[in-house]
Amino acid sequence: MIVRFILALWAARLAMFVARVTGRGKGSSLPGKIALKIYPRILKQLGRQIKKGIIVVTGTNGKTTTNNMIAGIVGDNKGSGVIINREGANLITGVTAAFIRAAGPFGGLHADYACLEVDEASFPGVVREITPDIVVVTNFFRDQLDRYGELDKTIALVKDALKKLDSVRLVLNADDPLVAQLGRVTGKPSVFFGLARHPGVSGTGSAAREAKFCPFCGAELAYSYYQYSQLGNYKCPGCEFARPQTDVEGVDPGVDGMLVSCRVRFRQGNMYPLQIPVTGLYNLYNGLAACSVGLLLDIDMDGIRSSLAGYLPATGRMEKFLYRGKPVLLNLVKNPTGFNEGLSTLLSVPAERVNVLIAINDNDADGRDISWLWDVDFEVLSGAGEKFGTFVCSGRRAWEMAVRLKYAGVREETVTVLEDFDQAVRTALEGTGDMSYFLATYTALWPVERILSGYAQRERTLPESVPSISGSVKSVR
Amino acid sequence: MFHLYPDLLNLYGDRGNVMAFARRCRWRGIDVEVRQISLGEKVSFKEADFLFLGGGSDREQNLMAGDLAARKEQLREAVEEGLVVLAICGGYQLLGKYYRTLDGKEIPGLGILDLYTRAGRERLIGNVAVEMEINGMTHRVVGFENHAGRTFLGDLKPLGKVLAGRGNNGEDGFEGARYNNVFCSYLHGPLLPKNTVLADNFIALALKRRGWREELRPLDDSFEKAAVDTMLKRIL
Ligand SMILES: [Zn+2]
Repeated sequence: MIVRFILALWAARLAMFVARVTGRGKGSSLPGKIALKIYPRILKQLGRQIKKGIIVVTGTNGKTTTNNMIAGIVGDNKGSGVIINREGANLITGVTAAFIRAAGPFGGLHADYACLEVDEASFPGVVREITPDIVVVTNFFRDQLDRYGELDKTIALVKDALKKLDSVRLVLNADDPLVAQLGRVTGKPSVFFGLARHPGVSGTGSAAREAKFCPFCGAELAYSYYQYSQLGNYKCPGCEFARPQTDVEGVDPGVDGMLVSCRVRFRQGNMYPLQIPVTGLYNLYNGLAACSVGLLLDIDMDGIRSSLAGYLPATGRMEKFLYRGKPVLLNLVKNPTGFNEGLSTLLSVPAERVNVLIAINDNDADGRDISWLWDVDFEVLSGAGEKFGTFVCSGRRAWEMAVRLKYAGVREETVTVLEDFDQAVRTALEGTGDMSYFLATYTALWPVERILSGYAQRERTLPESVPSISGSVKSVR
Repeated sequence: MFHLYPDLLNLYGDRGNVMAFARRCRWRGIDVEVRQISLGEKVSFKEADFLFLGGGSDREQNLMAGDLAARKEQLREAVEEGLVVLAICGGYQLLGKYYRTLDGKEIPGLGILDLYTRAGRERLIGNVAVEMEINGMTHRVVGFENHAGRTFLGDLKPLGKVLAGRGNNGEDGFEGARYNNVFCSYLHGPLLPKNTVLADNFIALALKRRGWREELRPLDDSFEKAAVDTMLKRIL
């Protein structure tokens, strides 16, 4: 047994080394795959060595951001080692690789905590091997349908897996009925986070709204307001299901350029001001989730606040570049809700005119079906005509994107289609706008990011990937 | 135009089909009103020129089936009188006689069209190209399919021949169904925005029923054509 364990470890290490030296297979799932093949219990064996706590973040959007925020808070305030999986490497192979990377030559681990983002569909498989102490669920939206089947099934998978966990505590988004229901159906102790009503809430839901019916009795949920998509203040007219009372609530949220802020109320008690250098209200949810985990780990609010104030976005999560003195923002989009968030940020950026690049690929990791583009509310762009210098569409489905913009009411003359990423990036940067805003799907993000960093300078740098031991998370700041 | 249950059936960008129909009317100066029909809402299909029925998840589909069952006779009459209909995925299956699940249970459909569907183990997923005849001309149409059901046609014409992808059942090489002015398909993608020949066909048929005799004014479809050609090049 021990021989196989060490063999698995070394084989995976070798694969990682080869990938690094050849520069190919970066972010590949091969090392984890090899290790699990040679010794299927390797993750269990490694996971058991975590001394103080395993925190798992799952849900559709915001996993990477939330997990990085949590790792930052834990690393800054609890000191000794935190294992974290590389962004996007959130299948069982990626989680396994993170542990292997942190292990010593004979498989010893010296880490107190592990912070792991785990894909919803992989969640049951991962938590069979490692036992999380805290599970955070961010939200549930439709994502890459052709890979996972329908959303209901994904939620059922997570629900069943949670029920089987013994001493887990849940951190749940109170504003998302699909997430909040998990508290009641699993019977696990839960901490709820959410945003309070504020002047920006809406009386109507968007087209991409997922949850319309009560998960318990099937009646149509009644909303007094929406934050975005199906997030808001809901109540079932047929049974007692309603938005739960929050433990961690964001009050008076503000979005000011590249900074979001709010006051955090903890258990109806004291208010603490919170500021995070990220864009978009949705990132405040990620911050509140991370806050909740910090509080569960008995970290004081000042420590949590200062960690979040120094948060650096990871690749493609609103990364900022400068091109000839003009800002360029790069953002990953992968589903209608995330795209709508991106568009509302785009409409609120402090610029007279913006050059927009939208890069859409349809490889497996992007979702091969691009019909979700029709659930994104691009119509909001047609009302802001003068704000946009040019729309450059790129990637394998560039034309499809151009068609979508046309039917959203964007003038055809302002749309340029360049399937080649290099041409597209250059054309967008040279547009008449005083800033540029790039949106790309998963497999389009990396080439766009690489090309962009050749022309423009990154404003603040986070290492290429999140380090696996976070003694260093702190030192890179 | 009637868009059935948009608050329920929001899978696969269905509303793109509705947008395409409405936009392409308006670009030609033709007034169009899109009425979103909810569960239980009182409507007469006689008032509609074009009816769109999409697909949803299992639960949503059951709700839709229940509601439509109560309107079955009205819908059948409208179809016989030439109502222009586009039904996709679940909507397509529902117009048929029944859907047989893997364990052999038969869920009755509306029985308006002579077709039936049985569940398959593997989902048929991927890009599709179909060759179809519209007004005597052959056209190539592209879309994306994602269905577990295998649909078999009785005394009905298919919508077209599969050039790439799986189509109705992955066996007989056909895709979709046609009856009177009813068009059924497994292709979403969505279908109408980029396949303008189909979209315009629905507009023309609907106008013809209203006594309109003129030809539709052509539009600049260069984006749409490029999107279709790119996909055809890739999968053929
Ligand atoms: Zn209820």
